[in-house]
Parts: sequence; structure tokens; C-alpha cells
Amino acid sequence: MKTTHPGRRFLLYLFPCLLASCILLVYPVYVIRPFRAQGARELSWALAVTRYRAPFMLALVAAAFTALVWYWRRERRWLRRAGSAAAALAVAGMAAASRVNIYELMFHPLGPPSFTAAGQSKLDGDEMVIAIQVGQVARAYPIRNISYYHIVNDLVDGVAVAATY
Amino acid sequence: MWRAEVDGLRLRFHLAGINDQNFLMRDEETGSYWQQITGAAVSGPLAGRRLTLVPSDELTFATWKAEEPQGTVLREVAADTGLYAKKDWDVEMLKAPTVIAYPESGLPPRELMLGLHGFGASRAFPYEALLKDKVIEDHLGSEPILLVTAPDGHSVRAFRRRIPGVASVPDFYRVLAGQPVLPAALMMDSATGSGWNFQGCAITGKSIGACLERVESIKDYWFDWRHFNPATTVYRVKRAR
Repeated sequence: MKTTHPGRRFLLYLFPCLLASCILLVYPVYVIRPFRAQGARELSWALAVTRYRAPFMLALVAAAFTALVWYWRRERRWLRRAGSAAAALAVAGMAAASRVNIYELMFHPLGPPSFTAAGQSKLDGDEMVIAIQVGQVARAYPIRNISYYHIVNDLVDGVAVAATY
Repeated sequence: MWRAEVDGLRLRFHLAGINDQNFLMRDEETGSYWQQITGAAVSGPLAGRRLTLVPSDELTFATWKAEEPQGTVLREVAADTGLYAKKDWDVEMLKAPTVIAYPESGLPPRELMLGLHGFGASRAFPYEALLKDKVIEDHLGSEPILLVTAPDGHSVRAFRRRIPGVASVPDFYRVLAGQPVLPAALMMDSATGSGWNFQGCAITGKSIGACLERVESIKDYWFDWRHFNPATTVYRVKRAR
């Protein structure tokens, strides 16, 4: 009776893990990227993948390492062991990368904001600001400043405000 | 600008992606995703909910400081200062590509507009026209409105064109700079002869102390405003025959 070579069986198990983890990692980044028009359905799918992929990624990592253990019990050559370990680690790497939102890395939000009294600010008079009044508090966010962070999470006279630009 | 809370739960947002060249925010508390321009949650446990708009102005610092001398200004972070936009950032942005355009409108995608939404309607005003004409009377839906440019030549506000206690809809006229009768006023109304400032308050005349009601507005690129306000109309400059 002909039996499948352990290496081929390992690849049969690992390749789908690699492919699936790659798709789950890349699809949302591909859809939700700048200078590209997104359709409503496409966006909905991409965000759903982002929100629900974690348990699937864990399952893929578990499957990849289970296959790796099975393969190492049958393969003694160090080069093939190293290659198979690299493949399983690639699945784990993609699972780890899927926990990171690249936009949140690139556009890091401002930490707790601090403010200067209007009379003490060194801003030029012609600088444009976004100005709000909440309760008794008047606040201004210079556009050249806020356009870098895009979002400032603030508390203005006790009211939580997301200053966005 | 949005109130960052829903049902008493404070939300803290991060920029989490881009949708049709307008950014998506994710809140830490529920993991929901929100569209920045509309304040609507598009995915997650709070999908379908909307944030409450915080009225805001885009003004020069000098104009704002004169109106709010007790106000506070966001401070720069020393480590990030080199990364902030340069002074000519708005000129450079005009060169940035767009993937959405509405060529049938005859407007360039990155034409700057002042967008108004209210009274069941959306309407966009070319910013250059506002700065040029200083005082523009128009309608938002069926509501008469007024758009006024500040003496700084850059700041614009929109108001309902109704004076408290006055039944008729007044006309407003620009006051030329240095006019002796109304030295501090930007404009005068036809119903009471009062002089009005950039805050929409009467500083002289029969209506002194009264203020016009603000209409919320946002300065936006045409493609973005049109994309998220598909039913918008556009103010066209009236040309003399």
C-alpha cells in the first residue's frame, strides 16, 4: 500500500493554514487603504474580518504547530525541520500581525492633550484653528497641529469631545 | 467635532482606516468603527448609532482670540513639531490625488466648499465665492440664511437670516471698512437698520444685543462633501447680465 510521504502530508496541512492566515491578514489592509474607493459592502466585509478573525487565526496557528509536531516526529533531517518550523512560524507571525492595525501605528493619537491660555500662545494670528465652545470653555485646535494626529480625545468643561480633522 | 459618548459611555478614538478618502475611527471601549465625516458607527457593537455634533468654527487664531481672550489653545508636542503640517499644507493638498470625483458637477474634486446641512437640505458654497463677496444671502431648504466672512478674510460663519422679534426676513448689506456710522459692524440689516458683527450679534441700532442663530457648517473638499451628502445642492455665483 502506498503511503503519502510525511513531507507532502505536512505541506497539505500547512499550505491552507498559510493561505488562510495570509488572506485574513491582508484582505482588510487591501480594502481599507488610502487613495482607493471602497464600496459599502466591501468595507463591511473588511471590517467584519478585522473584528472576527482572532479566533480563526488562533485555530490556524494551533493547526500549523500540530502539523509541525507531527512532522518532526517523522523527519530527522535538520534542514527540513528548519524549513517546516519557519513555515509554522510564518503562520504565527501573520496571526500576531493581524493584532496590529497599521493605521493606528502610522497615525498615533495624541496622548492626554495640554493647553495654553490664548494670551500666552505664540501662534501666528493668521494660523487657522478649529474653535469650539462647550459650556463655559472656549477651546481652539490649530489645524496644522491637529491634522497630524487627526483625532484629539479631549474633555472640555466635563464633556468628552473627539476633535477630528 | 463630536461628543465622544454614547448612552453615558465615554469613547476614546483611534484612526483605524480610510473609507472613500475619509477616515474611520475605532473606539477603544467597544471596538466599533465610526465614519469621521458623518459620526455614524458603520461596524461593531454600536453600528447604526451616531455621535452628536459639537458646533465648531474654522477661524484665524487672531479672530478667535479676539472673541475668546479667556480661551485655551492646544499645545504643540515638542517631539512631534517637525512632523506637523507646513504653512503651505493646504496648497500642497490640492495636488493630492482623489479616487472619487463628480465631473458632472463642473467642480474640481478638491474645490474647497463650505457645507451646510439643516432644515431638511444640504448645500455647498464655494469657499472662494464666500471670501470674495463677504456677505451672501441664500436659502438652506426653505430657510433664509446668511453667510459672512470676517474682516480677516479667511473665517466664515453661517446664520439663519431671522432677527429675533422681527417678523419679516431682512436683507443684510456689507458695511464698507471705515464707514463712520457703523465703525465696528460688518453688515447692516434692512429691517431694523442695526449694525451686526461677525458673531452675528447686533452692536448698534434697534436690535442691539440680539443675535442671529448659527447654522452649522463644515469646510470640506467638494468630492468628500458630495460623496457623503449625495442630495446636496451647490451655490452658484450669480453673474451680472
